[in-house]
Amino acid sequence: MSFTLDEVSQRYITDSGEVVHALADTSLHVPAGQFVCVVGPSGCGKTTLLKILAGFLRPTGGQARVNDSLITGPSWERGVVFQQANLYPWLTVRKNVELGLKFRGVGAAERRETGQRCLDLVGLAGFEDQKTYELSGGMQQRAQIARVLANDPEIILMDEPFGALDALTRERLQMDLLQISRERRKTIFFITHSVEEAVFLGDRVLVMSPRPGRVVLDEPVTISQQYGRVLPGKELRSTPEFVALRDRIADTIYTGQAPA
Amino acid sequence: MTGPNQDEASVVPETDPLGQSLRVAADHRRSRRAQRVRKFGLSFAVLLIALGIWWLVTRFALVPALYLPSPAAVWDAFIQANTCRELDSGRSVCGEQNYYMWEHLIASMQRIAVGVGVAIALGPLVGFLMGSIEWLNTALEPYLNFLRSLPPLGYIGLLIVWFGIGNTSKYWLLFLAAFPPIVIATINGVRGVREDSIHAARSMGASRWQVGRYIVLPATLPEVIGGIRIAVGFAWTTVVAAELNAGIPGIGGLAYVSGQQLQTALTIACIIVIGLAAVALDALLKHLGTLLVPWYGRA
Ligand SMILES: Nc1ncnc2c1ncn2[C@@H]1O[C@H](COP(=O)(O)OP(=O)(O)OP(=O)(O)O)[C@@H](O)[C@H]1O
Ligand SMILES: [Mg+2]
Repeated sequence: MSFTLDEVSQRYITDSGEVVHALADTSLHVPAGQFVCVVGPSGCGKTTLLKILAGFLRPTGGQARVNDSLITGPSWERGVVFQQANLYPWLTVRKNVELGLKFRGVGAAERRETGQRCLDLVGLAGFEDQKTYELSGGMQQRAQIARVLANDPEIILMDEPFGALDALTRERLQMDLLQISRERRKTIFFITHSVEEAVFLGDRVLVMSPRPGRVVLDEPVTISQQYGRVLPGKELRSTPEFVALRDRIADTIYTGQAPA
Repeated sequence: MTGPNQDEASVVPETDPLGQSLRVAADHRRSRRAQRVRKFGLSFAVLLIALGIWWLVTRFALVPALYLPSPAAVWDAFIQANTCRELDSGRSVCGEQNYYMWEHLIASMQRIAVGVGVAIALGPLVGFLMGSIEWLNTALEPYLNFLRSLPPLGYIGLLIVWFGIGNTSKYWLLFLAAFPPIVIATINGVRGVREDSIHAARSMGASRWQVGRYIVLPATLPEVIGGIRIAVGFAWTTVVAAELNAGIPGIGGLAYVSGQQLQTALTIACIIVIGLAAVALDALLKHLGTLLVPWYGRA
């Protein structure tokens, strides 16, 4: 599934009546199967953009479309991994992970199997029957990721999903996510504060400017193509291309405008 | 230097994870128990001090016994209300007003059970609808607040005219007292459900109905239970008003009648029994709450 933004903009009205211009006119096309990473300073409208794509927010200007139909609300085909884990404390970890399948009427046996596979994937085997509030923050985040993966959405929208994780777990989940996106041709919209993570994961990196948010840099990441193979993490990170791109993106975030 | 035996003793616990976690659990239980004992001790000390002051005041007759009977007199009244005794005429009388005190208490509890029970059956439903349907809330909220602010004593007379002097009017009064707090707590609960919780469910494919059933309902449970506790407390304060007329058997009725007949000791005994029953019931509900909502305050 692809998605398209057509001159999408967002103005919030705060409780005190002020108008906040969060997102300037933004046009964007993300083809099916692309892994696009979004970076930008805090408050520049990244989450706003994600909410519009998820269908939680109707943009105040322009149109957001999935394939060719207008986004009018949330759908299971657009899974969302939130900044906070949002697990339901009245359900066990397993029940949380199986919830989407339950909503969609999938039978118990299949739910169990799919849920278990996703729990194994994020390294939560053995914690299935725990209370969610008895997990660590990073484990909760992994459970949330498993919950979204279990639903097998075509588009995965992720808001700084790995921010709360230790380096080792983050790296493992990054690899898993890459694999999922490649094997199953998922379209992924991935917000992060880590430039390194963006370049490492993305087929494409978007840099947004401070308020009102605009896409000031839209860079394809073609290092693997240039080398003609998928480079393992360590090797990739030390290539001159990686370093150059990372610095270019970091500079753009710093100055807020596209480099000359 | 320590000898080899001592060395071994200090090493073994660290290389024995099961023993260690068992010990942690045991320590935890012990400290919880100690804490409970301390808390209970504090409450008990306050009780003893209050009883002591009461006893001193009556012992030195600082207040006439008609106004404030001694603890012993109240205890006697309590015993007398729960036993049979021979009158001078040779006739045997049991309890007070032809019923043992526990029968009075049970009669009141039954009324509360009916009134509050209906409120528990309807309140969350109404609150749930009002909390999720904006226009319904706009339409009904003023009347709910109106009802909430009415003093039960004010309209018991009206209820008696409408529903007779028997139990029906009492049920209605207790229901009307218990209903608003439950509805209001439920509305607040529904309103307080975090937006992201609902968004997450919607983007997993939940229909509106499923969001209500699987997300909003359990998320609201803590507030509903809180509302029920407030409502039950309210019902106890209302039970005397409900039993002012034809309230025998009934612990509230007995408190009122004995006061009118200047049996002050019995009145105080009734008040204490009402208070203790209310506290016990609330403790039960609180416990039920922690069983039903173990996540409360932790997630
Ligand atoms: N509901 C709202 N009402 C008013 N203003 C809002 C609202 N939500 C967001 N904003 C404003 O819109 C701007 C963009 O917010 P957004 O959450 O999209 O930023 P972000 O890029 O995700 O930031 P961060 O990296 O810190 O998460 C911010 O300046 C914020 O103050
Ligand atoms: Mg954000």
